[in-house]
Amino acid sequence: MLFQSRHPLESKIGSGSSIRAVDHLEIPRSVAIATVLSHPDETAAVVAGFAAAGDLVMRNVAPGEWLVLSHIERSDSLERRLSGLLTDIADVVDQSEGRVLLRLSGPNVRRILAKGVAIDLDPSAFAIGQSVNLRCGHIAVNFARSGENEFELVVMRSFAESLLEDLLLMGREFDLSYGFSGGLADPD
Amino acid sequence: MASLIHCPHCGIRPKEEFTVRGDASLVRPEPDASDEAWHEYVHIRANPRGRTREHWQHLYGCRRFLVVERDTVTHEVYSVTDGAAAARGGSR
Ligand SMILES: [Zn+2]
Repeated sequence: MLFQSRHPLESKIGSGSSIRAVDHLEIPRSVAIATVLSHPDETAAVVAGFAAAGDLVMRNVAPGEWLVLSHIERSDSLERRLSGLLTDIADVVDQSEGRVLLRLSGPNVRRILAKGVAIDLDPSAFAIGQSVNLRCGHIAVNFARSGENEFELVVMRSFAESLLEDLLLMGREFDLSYGFSGGLADPD
Repeated sequence: MASLIHCPHCGIRPKEEFTVRGDASLVRPEPDASDEAWHEYVHIRANPRGRTREHWQHLYGCRRFLVVERDTVTHEVYSVTDGAAAARGGSR
């Protein structure tokens, strides 16, 4: 049987905005995402495991719980690699089809986000690489600062359309543009 | 109601990110305790004016249960502790 992977926002976004504005909402097409849940008292060992792997993007969810993102790996290989890396100290579950990544960037990004997010977004208060779970409007998201003026939101699949609509409304004042990016080549 | 809660894991957040899960000062009776003791524990609640101790869950953040000590009159928050840590500390 042949399975086709279809992005949850496919019908909503299509080819995206015709003109790219300075403030842009980018939806990377294929991102491998896994949840990692540390066994009791193994948190430090898990963090050390991540550091040893080097190339993994870790997002804080709660004490002993993370989302791990990879833009270069396929979901099955990420899950396999993490499971091997964290044998007996953490549980790993692939979430690539269950979560959606949205990336918001541009000079006005903080003013856009301030309409839905209640944390201090000042560069001195929320450093590059920092991540937390929070509420954006009425939706729970994992939120991270991924660059100087760039933030990434990871949301559960079924909330992705709502969150997209909310973000576009929040960004309308700045003509926020949007569209898909990337996509891995087929394996064969 | 106290509008800003300092979650020990996530930082300062608005109360809208939390759900209040009730009195944290109650002690669960022994299984063979009297019906009166269980009735008290399950159904009877004071509605105190002043300092209270409650379970709050950070539903939109870390999803942990927290013990929040706050004042129902002044809205002042005295302390926020992780529920597991509070239970280990045995501070009831
Ligand atoms: Zn929290």
